[in-house]
This record gives sequence, structure tokens and C-alpha cells, in this order.
Amino acid sequence: MFRGAFSIWGRDMRVMRRSLVSELVSVIAYPLTLYLAFGFGLKGYITDVNGVPYPLFIAPGLISMTAVNAAFDESSWSMWFHRKVQRTIEEYRVTPVTVYDIVVGKIFSGFSQGAVKGTVVFLVILALTPFRIDYTNLPMYLLCIALSSMTFSCLGTICGTVIDKPENIGRVQSVVIVPLIFMAGIFFPLSSYPSSILPLIQLLPTTAVFEGARDALLTGTIPSQYLVNLVLTAAVCFTVAVYTFNRKMAE
Amino acid sequence: MTDAITLHDITKSYDGFTAVDAFSLQVQRGTVFGLLGPNGAGKTTLIKILTTLMRPTLGDAFVEGHSVLTAGKEVRRMIGVVPQENNLDRYLTARENLALHARLHGMRPAAYNPRIDELLEMTGLAGRQHDFPDTFSGGMQRRLVVARALVHEPRVLFLDEPTTGLDPQSRRSLWDHIRGLRRTMTVFLTTHYMDEADALCDRIMIMDHGRCLADGTASQLKDAFSRAHTYQVEFRNDADRYQGVLAGLPFVKGVEREGSLFQITLADEESIKPLMDHLSGSDIRRICLKEPSLEDVFISLTGEKVRE
Repeated sequence: MFRGAFSIWGRDMRVMRRSLVSELVSVIAYPLTLYLAFGFGLKGYITDVNGVPYPLFIAPGLISMTAVNAAFDESSWSMWFHRKVQRTIEEYRVTPVTVYDIVVGKIFSGFSQGAVKGTVVFLVILALTPFRIDYTNLPMYLLCIALSSMTFSCLGTICGTVIDKPENIGRVQSVVIVPLIFMAGIFFPLSSYPSSILPLIQLLPTTAVFEGARDALLTGTIPSQYLVNLVLTAAVCFTVAVYTFNRKMAE
Repeated sequence: MTDAITLHDITKSYDGFTAVDAFSLQVQRGTVFGLLGPNGAGKTTLIKILTTLMRPTLGDAFVEGHSVLTAGKEVRRMIGVVPQENNLDRYLTARENLALHARLHGMRPAAYNPRIDELLEMTGLAGRQHDFPDTFSGGMQRRLVVARALVHEPRVLFLDEPTTGLDPQSRRSLWDHIRGLRRTMTVFLTTHYMDEADALCDRIMIMDHGRCLADGTASQLKDAFSRAHTYQVEFRNDADRYQGVLAGLPFVKGVEREGSLFQITLADEESIKPLMDHLSGSDIRRICLKEPSLEDVFISLTGEKVRE
């Protein structure tokens, strides 16, 4: 069961290992720049948010953002590239593996990329800045990151499966993913939103990702509404990704 | 059961267009079977159905007794596929490409490593096994795709236009590899190249518009469909006068002239004697029966019009 998925995941991890150093440099640069620019640049203006020092307030979100972005990027571009450019999906499909093996393998590759890159950004922020955490909170934080990466990996897989033109994947990132991330309170508290739209914002899966991650890392618990949101969103996205890929392959 | 491949009334339609129309076929085990046809004839659609990449609209097909509709996984265990395009993984080395394919077939390293060594030797790629396919020539990439399709020792090998775009040396080299497979497995080949089909195939089928037009060995097809009564005659003198003479002979069905060389199509075999009676032997430099080619058969069946 899923031996094919494991082989495809193994292939992706081998390729990732080959270019790990160059990839990590680019992956780290973006969140670290944001951390330095906002965390230090605004420190004099925003001392704390709800009693949490501002650099500590934004750090969990930046680490989570790296993880979910990496998960989305890997699965969307990888699926598109293997389907449209290299046509290796077709090679997989003439072997005894099933379409479920292929899609599950690709989803786990995205998830793994997200986990590895998020961890590295976490370690870099830890090494270069005064950001510190209580390590007993780490398991809940990792659970939050795992569910978030799974969701974004599935979303990426759906995009890579249904979108044929590469520029449209970039558009989905600009128009859907980035706004969802930035609206979810990485850099500011949700209480800044007008009370009329706050309930909607709280329903966003990205709010569950970033608020859940912050609470997990700082307090060791994920609020139940966010945990339910994360689990449900991951389950729905996984089902839709598998269904979409299966349907596309049957065309 | 001696048939490796069986198709029962396979039809494939998309949006009102019928790519394959009630197509039936049996291919015996150990045969090198060639499917010829112009662009859009339905060859690739048939290969996609047989390799489970596409489901037929109607009918069923069996590979080594397994239905493509109900036992796709079993079919895929039995087959190796060389697609039209080299769908190699450019981020894996040549050896890693073969190893991934073996793992997808559930093989363990102890089984696939010696097999990969053997195939890399056979295809002349052993010295480049740790290089990436992007650094290979077109011929080398093609040989690697063939090697990959053979890693798990399939019983049926599908080759979809395997030599398209290759230089003559690479084509010949690939032909040698395919000839080497003869009798060890069933080979199902599509090609545009008549010489390729002539050189490699035990049995040839010509198809167009999703239907079979002719089926047999290369020599059977040439005998059955060629213009068997066409002679080439080259005159030493009076070529213009002879053109007029030939035009007046009732048993001459067609004359094509190029300088002093005439291609004369007769009504039947017996017409050669009255033809010779009308030509003076001393004016003839050369006369010979025009040997038909497979291409003549192909063109006569599918027409000369260029397909998109």
C-alpha cells in the first residue's frame, strides 16, 4: 500500500537534497528580511501586541508562512512540471502504481519541503535573533505546521493539476495565496479588523494557520476553533486534491 | 493462449470525433507488430488505450489476458512503454531514472541493480550512467528510454514512433536493440517510417481514420497492393516518338516520363509481350520491373494529401 507514493516521495527528497543549500538561501532570505525589517524596524513604534513583544509576535507567523509557501510552491510547480514539461507523470502512470500513489506522493513531497524549510527558518531566526520559545510548546506548534503544510500542499497539487499555463500558477499565488496569508494577522492582531468582518477573517484557514501557530508556540495550546478549522481544511483539501488529480488523469 | 494483445471492437470518440472506430486485432506472442498510419490515424490513441492511459469509449482490450478496463494494474505490470517524447526525469541521473522505474514496479535493489547494469551495458550508456539525461544526445536519451522500459522485463513492449527525430546512425543502433528483443517479448511498434517497419516487423497493419486498411507481412502487403505491372524503360533514341506510340496502345494504363526514362503501367501481366512488340529492341537502353516499396502501398491506401 502506497509503496509507489513512497518511491515518488523518495525521488523528490533526493532531488531536494541535491539543491538544498541554494534553495535554503533563497527560502531563508525572504522571511528573515521581513523579520529584520518589521521586527526591528517597527520595534520602536510597536513595543508589544497584547503583551507579546512585537518580534516574538511575528516570528511564529513568518516561520509558518515559510512552511506553507514552500509546501504550495513545491506541490504546484512540481505537479505542473512533471505533468506538462517533463511528462514524468505519464511515465509513472504506465507502471503498476495507482493515481492515488502519485498524488499522495506529491502531496507528501510538498509537506516535507514545507516542514524542512520552516524548520530551517526557525533555526536561523533562533540563531540570529533574541527570539526564544519554551520548547515544551514545540509539539503543538509542529502539529499546527504539519496540518497547515498538508493543506497548502494539497492546494498546490490542485493548482498544478488543473492549471496548464505556468503564469496562471503565479497569478493564483498573487491573487489568492498571498492575500490569504497577509490578511490572517501575521503582522498585526486580528482585533485591528472592524468587528463586522472579523468573524469572516477568523474563518479563513490561513487565520487558523497563523493564529494557531502563534498560540501553539507561545502558550502550548491551539484554540479549539482553529484546530478544528485546520483538521477540516486539511481533510477537505486532501480529498479535493485526490479527486481532482484522479479526474484529470481520467480525461 | 498465444495472443499477447487482443482488441475487441475498440472505439474511442472525443467530442463527436471518432479517433478509433470498432478496431479489432490479435497480436501473437513474440511478434514484432508494426502499426502504420498518417498523422491522426489513431495509432497513438490505440497505444494509450493498451497502456491504460486512456479508456476506450466502447469495447475492451486485453494484454496477456488482462483487461485494460478491469485489470489495469496487472496490464501495467506486463508492459514496457517507450512514448513518442523522451519523458526522462532530468533531475535524476541515467541510473537513477532506471532505478526509480524499477522501484515503481516494486523491484528491490538486489533485483534491479544487476538488471540496470546489464541494460546500461546493452544500450552503451554504462559510461554515462551517473550523468543527467539533459547532457545526452537525442539518440542516447532514446536508448535510455528503451532501457527504462525494459528494466522490469516486460512481456509486451510498446514503442510509439521510437526513432522519430533521430539521425540515421542512432536509428540503426536502436533498430539493432529492437531486433535483439525479437522472440523474447512481443513488440508493438508505431512508426511513420516504412523502411523501419520493413526492417523490423513480422507483421504490419496500416490504419487510417481509426480503421484497419491492410494487414500482413511486408512482402504480402507489397504483393497485394503494389502496382505489379509497372515497368521502367529507358530509351537510347527516339524518346519523343515512343511517347506517342505508348499513348496509342490500349493496354498501357499510364505513362510517366522523365527525359528518356519512362514509367509504364500496363493493364495486366500479359501486356508485356505486345508492349515489346511495339518497341524496337535496339532503341531500349534498359527495361526493368519496378519493385514496389512499402511506401507505395502506404500512399496508395492512405492518399498523398498532407495531414495536419
